[in-house]
Amino acid sequence: MLRFITGRLIAMVLTMWAVSFVAFAIIQLPPGDYLTTYMATLAANGDRVDPAAIEALRRQYGFGEPYVVQYWKWITGIVLRGDFGQSFEWKAPVTTLIWGRLGNSILLEGLAVIVMWLVALPIGIYAAVRKYSLGDYLATIGGFIGLAIPNFFFALILMYLSFVWFGETLGGLFSPEYEAARWSPARIWDFLSHAWAPILVLSMAGTAELIRILRANLLDELKKPYVTTARAKGLSEFRTIMKYPVRVALNPLISTIGWLLPALVSSSVLVSVVLNLPTAGPLLLRSLTSQDMYLAGAIIMLLGILTVIGTLISDLLLAWIDPRIRYGSK
Amino acid sequence: MLDGTDLPPVEERLPANPLVVTPVESVGTYGGTWRSALRGGLDNAWIARTVAYDGLVRYNREWNEIVPNLAESWEVSADATTYTFHLREGLKWNNGTPFTSADIAFAVELFSEPSYGVGGFIKNPSNPVTVEVVDDTTFKFVFEKPNGVIMDELASVNGFTVVSLSKDYCSQFYPKYNPDAAAQAKAAGFETWELWMTDRCSWATETIRWANPELPMMNAWMIDEPLTGDASRATFVRNPYYWKVDTEGNQLPYIDHLSMRVSDSLEELTLMALNGEIDFQDRHIATVANQPLFFDGQEAGDYRLGENVPSNMNTMVLQFNMNHVDPKRAELFQNKDFRVGISQLIDRQEIIDVIFTGQGEPFQAAPRPESPFYDEEMAKQYTEFDPDAAAAAFEAAGLGARNGDGFYTFADGSPLVVTIDMISTVRPEWIDMMELLQLQIEAGGIDIELNNIDRTLYYEKRPAGDYDAQIWQGDGGLDVIQEPRYYMANGDESVWAYRWAQWFQGSRPEIAEEPAPWAKEQMDLFNQLRGEGDPVKRDDLMKQILAIAKENFPVIGISLPGNGYYIARNNMRNIAEPMLHAYLFPTPGPYDPFQWYFAAE
Repeated sequence: MLRFITGRLIAMVLTMWAVSFVAFAIIQLPPGDYLTTYMATLAANGDRVDPAAIEALRRQYGFGEPYVVQYWKWITGIVLRGDFGQSFEWKAPVTTLIWGRLGNSILLEGLAVIVMWLVALPIGIYAAVRKYSLGDYLATIGGFIGLAIPNFFFALILMYLSFVWFGETLGGLFSPEYEAARWSPARIWDFLSHAWAPILVLSMAGTAELIRILRANLLDELKKPYVTTARAKGLSEFRTIMKYPVRVALNPLISTIGWLLPALVSSSVLVSVVLNLPTAGPLLLRSLTSQDMYLAGAIIMLLGILTVIGTLISDLLLAWIDPRIRYGSK
Repeated sequence: MLDGTDLPPVEERLPANPLVVTPVESVGTYGGTWRSALRGGLDNAWIARTVAYDGLVRYNREWNEIVPNLAESWEVSADATTYTFHLREGLKWNNGTPFTSADIAFAVELFSEPSYGVGGFIKNPSNPVTVEVVDDTTFKFVFEKPNGVIMDELASVNGFTVVSLSKDYCSQFYPKYNPDAAAQAKAAGFETWELWMTDRCSWATETIRWANPELPMMNAWMIDEPLTGDASRATFVRNPYYWKVDTEGNQLPYIDHLSMRVSDSLEELTLMALNGEIDFQDRHIATVANQPLFFDGQEAGDYRLGENVPSNMNTMVLQFNMNHVDPKRAELFQNKDFRVGISQLIDRQEIIDVIFTGQGEPFQAAPRPESPFYDEEMAKQYTEFDPDAAAAAFEAAGLGARNGDGFYTFADGSPLVVTIDMISTVRPEWIDMMELLQLQIEAGGIDIELNNIDRTLYYEKRPAGDYDAQIWQGDGGLDVIQEPRYYMANGDESVWAYRWAQWFQGSRPEIAEEPAPWAKEQMDLFNQLRGEGDPVKRDDLMKQILAIAKENFPVIGISLPGNGYYIARNNMRNIAEPMLHAYLFPTPGPYDPFQWYFAAE
């Protein structure tokens, strides 16, 4: 097992390097650079900029240099000094911008994942065991609706209903007085009273998907002879189902945990914009449209790191939950 | 209201001769918080409009005169090269340090550094400026060549640059005054002193300027909670050293706090406004689509709608590329008959009815009716929908016969397809307009292809010269002299003659092209205008430029935009009505938000 983990860690470093290289390349693919966008924004406002001044800025930012040179400067800054470079748009170090927002993302999406599993597992198991019952049909219909409604649209509906029914404007994660405050019970309460909406929205489609996958997997397993054997040996129905078929049915869910974090971040971009959540999503979107390349590069790279770490976690979990899988040891 | 703070008494905080502002309706009362919103974190324009409009001079509320502000008076030399300004005696930054000529000289010195920032008129290579400091309150701008437009520049939104930096504070980041600045910048995490300076002492209305509460300001409100990258709110608090008073001698501003919600979500902002959580705002939320919604919600939200007159003269301007790299296309697009034909194929009333719910009227790229430069003939020529006249115009333009699909060809018989580049993200209604336009023009025999692209690509294509046509909004309706891009090829935004404009600017000789004689004549006139100190003569020169534009019809307009609107809380007073609305005239800034107040109900 140790050998497996060591091997994986080495592979992770190489993957990270490749991810960083590709991330940096992707950001530079669109024509122009940040200064083109900057000029375009000024022009849209009706302002004018002397082209010579823009040329001077272009040199100052090092845009004229070849891709590899720019990449090398960027990546050595990160590795040697933890310096992700400057955000052009914010004229500030990238590191000061992303940690808080990434923290909010992970907190919010972590909660969404927990809610998703807590809701989906019992419903999925129930729907499989009581196949074609009223409960199964309700779960199925609910699941399909949940899958079919786009997240951002659901968020819009929630905002509208909350405005019409309660006269409240949903949005943000904190009330003004708690925005900059330290964590305290009052602030946690304030957070929860705001966060329920995004958590509900973010977990809905995922919940629906989980229910469907779990139900299908479990239906396959329930027919297998080992279940009949267990039952014949006199195990209670509850233990029969929970101890073996459910564990097996969870396999595909766990093996995709690694994709969960980045998928949540990217799927939540629109929701975050609509609900005005201070997460990494809107920052990423904004930095991509303005070609703020070091900021966008840093966020994409951190998402890559999350994926790699997530994959490692899912592999370890899988080994623990499914006795048929063992690495390295014999 | 500032009791309990250890500030000197108000007489000592005010200058010897404070600016006396006549309130729009009545003398107000102190207090309250003005709630508004920023679209995302980088919406510096809203702050510029509400907080920052305080240059050396300002425009009056009618936008037809330049009036004193930080500068009490000024003199212009007969040759329009030397401008002498007299600052008010005893002006102070919001931290209490004096605001003097030295601060102006410092800003000019800093922006004259080739490696530093964008400096507006200070960095203009064709007419450099130097500063002579006479004493604490008197200084001179000396230009190499006559400069007739500098007062307009200083009165506009661009005028903040020279008054935005306190030498006392900002010189610590400048190697010229602090030999260790470069090393300290590195220690603070910045590659160069320039980056550190930009972070701490950003100029004019750059967003990052509002992220440093230590940076001294001359505005009515100063930073309380800064606008950083992860802020979800930015707030401002009254400046105890603000140098303006009302007619009864009360120090302004009346309103104590500004609170700006930072939100990427237009939906959230719209709901906030409907819910009465916005006290004054027009930016972002006052769209055509939202208007009926806001109208219906007035009573419930306890707000009212007021009127804005936009400075744009057109909902959309269609620009054919006269400097196309393909000579055949360049020749066709330079042919006035071709452009006249296209213009006559457009059924403008249909577009106005369908897209703008009947608001507006057919209009070419021409000064607005409110402008002293308005010329009805120029605004209305070729706006009649007339397919027969268009067919005759195309014949005069020498187009080939119509092919089997009913489309005209080039004179040599090769197929003619005109691709129009558009960006939908700037104005969502452009897509709908272009689709209608395409149907209308194609019915008249010109094959049109629409090309919806990203903004950066849009800009990248310009120097390359390989585009048929692009669209943009109708700038220059009221700010005719300041923004003549559609009347003559004066800069990068004159997309219809990008390479002629380069010839005029002299900035990119590698792609510059010698303009047609009429365009060259305009440039001569504009050079005279820029060197002319007398406003009456300047107006006369501009009229000559416009007459040439009218004759040569370089670009095609669609319709005059209908008036815009703003949302104001019912008890918010002293808001002028209607307000002229432009970028260079940063509404509501010139209408003095610092004399707005909340009436007790």
